[in-house]
Amino acid sequence: MSDRIAGIFMLIVSIAFGITASSYKASFGDPLGPAALPVMLSIPAGLLSLALILRPDPNPAWVTGAPLIRQIATVALLIAYALLLEPLGFLLSTFIAVTLLGRILLSGWAKSALSGAVMSLILFVTFDTLLGLPLRALPEALS
Amino acid sequence: METFALLAQGFAVALTPTNLALALFGCFIGTIIGALPGIGPVNGVAILIPLAFSLGLEPVSALIMLSCIYYGCMYGGRISSIMLNIPGDEPAIMTTLDGYPMARAGRAAEALAISALASFVGATFATIGLTLFAPLLAGAAIYFGPADYFALYVMAFATIGGVTGANPFKTLLAAMIGLMIASVGLDPATGTARFTFGSYHLYDGFNPIVAIVGLFAISEVLFYLENMHNGDRKMVPLGRAIPKLRDIMVGGWAHLRGSVIGFICGILPGAGASLGAFMSYVVEKRISNKNDTFGKGDPKGIVAPEAGNNAASGGALIPMLTLGVPGSGTTAVMLALLISLNVQPGPLLFSREPEMVWGLIASLYIANLVLLVMNIPMVGLFTRMLSLPQWILMPFVVMVSFLGIYSISNSSFDVLVMIAFGVLGFILRKLDISLVPVILGLLLGSDMENNLRRALSISGGDPLILVTSPIALGLYAVTFVILAAAFYLSFTDKRAARAAADEQANPHL
Repeated sequence: MSDRIAGIFMLIVSIAFGITASSYKASFGDPLGPAALPVMLSIPAGLLSLALILRPDPNPAWVTGAPLIRQIATVALLIAYALLLEPLGFLLSTFIAVTLLGRILLSGWAKSALSGAVMSLILFVTFDTLLGLPLRALPEALS
Repeated sequence: METFALLAQGFAVALTPTNLALALFGCFIGTIIGALPGIGPVNGVAILIPLAFSLGLEPVSALIMLSCIYYGCMYGGRISSIMLNIPGDEPAIMTTLDGYPMARAGRAAEALAISALASFVGATFATIGLTLFAPLLAGAAIYFGPADYFALYVMAFATIGGVTGANPFKTLLAAMIGLMIASVGLDPATGTARFTFGSYHLYDGFNPIVAIVGLFAISEVLFYLENMHNGDRKMVPLGRAIPKLRDIMVGGWAHLRGSVIGFICGILPGAGASLGAFMSYVVEKRISNKNDTFGKGDPKGIVAPEAGNNAASGGALIPMLTLGVPGSGTTAVMLALLISLNVQPGPLLFSREPEMVWGLIASLYIANLVLLVMNIPMVGLFTRMLSLPQWILMPFVVMVSFLGIYSISNSSFDVLVMIAFGVLGFILRKLDISLVPVILGLLLGSDMENNLRRALSISGGDPLILVTSPIALGLYAVTFVILAAAFYLSFTDKRAARAAADEQANPHL
């Protein structure tokens, strides 16, 4: 069933991909043009998706319960971290992110907070000071 | 003779203080990455690529560092196989079979030393092979025209799944997904914006390194979160630190057999180190398993797969350097690095950048010696790494990937793209769709298109040019044979499995 869903999804993507690509035109020079290769790709991609629909493998064991919640929490945390890195500054956002990740990985609050503090400092010194990647250390409002 | 002169020049490059220091650093970090379960060589190399950028390294230095990390990973993978019965990376699976029983019997230090020596023999064999064969292949590849390159890429995509038994439909679909992702961005020949949905961020297309770190490193973290309760990590005691020389040398001819088999597997497209280790083990078992000691801690059962996987990883560098077509996940990542540094691998690399190629090869010889020293007397240091708790390790991996990607363009957009690729990678791996063809498509897509267009420009639009050169025809023939074999194997496997299932369901029939 999973394979069939993936196959249907990829079939739709391939068709949309081919149709979108066929509208690309360039007025000069190149005998092949920007549309040819994407259109050429969409055909085997569509056929392979069909094969996936017609000959699916057995379902994989999908994640359920607590591990799934942990995964969703991690992805949400990573997205939030990416968005908050600049406004909150590196030290605070990394401290929060590492602490929460530690909690998701079933460590205690105190240990996670400690590793968050140590890690954010080490990474800041390594990347900002040693490797010269300009990072904003403190929240925007303070600096 | 010319080869030796070039190699001597290479040593001059490799022995500069910077490059030597980077090689040492790479060996050390690589062994740690290989040893830690959960970060394999692909992830390790991918995470550290941004480091090479932010250090502002010369291409040759960056390549030396990453190749040493790559070799180091192959040495390190065996450590957790032997100590924990958990392979540190995929090719080290075979080493658990005899390595862990031997460690359980109180001979852990011996097993580690034996496998370090086997790794050294395998990797050195492959490096010598690289020295001798790569220039030959590069010389032959100069005769390739655009149409031949197009055929070569078709072969790379069609055969990357190899004959490993994975569902060939899925492998091919994975390559298509990679090629489709590669066509996002401005078309290089005409400047038409393709699939950008009006977003300026996408005009340059997806940066392969961002995609790779997401696909491998982030998806690995998600996998770990899923399985974190299943792992029972009990380390066996190491025992005496340095075993006697006589005890280490028990491998005998198994070293050479493993090396040869592994090396051949490494050169073949899509086979790589895992197959090298597997084949070496199977062959060695057939030859040496006289008293039924294999699987119970036979030293030769450690020597063969370790020599095999290290020889394969050296062999896999040959198609990457000479043809620009990587044969494995890790070499694909290294190709991404070269492309990002504006170095075009392929046959011209050897004539255009001899310093880089020979500097790399020379540094591999040095890396092997360093790794042998690191992995026999200093192995205790790495085994101690294994007790590092995951709640420190995993956040660290995530943060280093984040900062690495952030450092490429200083924008949160790339980091979000990386997370999206991480989720995609997780789903694809769950569906048993291999990620290596995706990466290969992403990396080689634009080059494939350029060669196709160049070929058709030469012929004025006549598609017959694609099938007139003998080289291209030969490549298509090979592609066809390998594809046919892959489909045949997958169908017969399925039929056999179904027959077995039927028999179980209706035993009286």
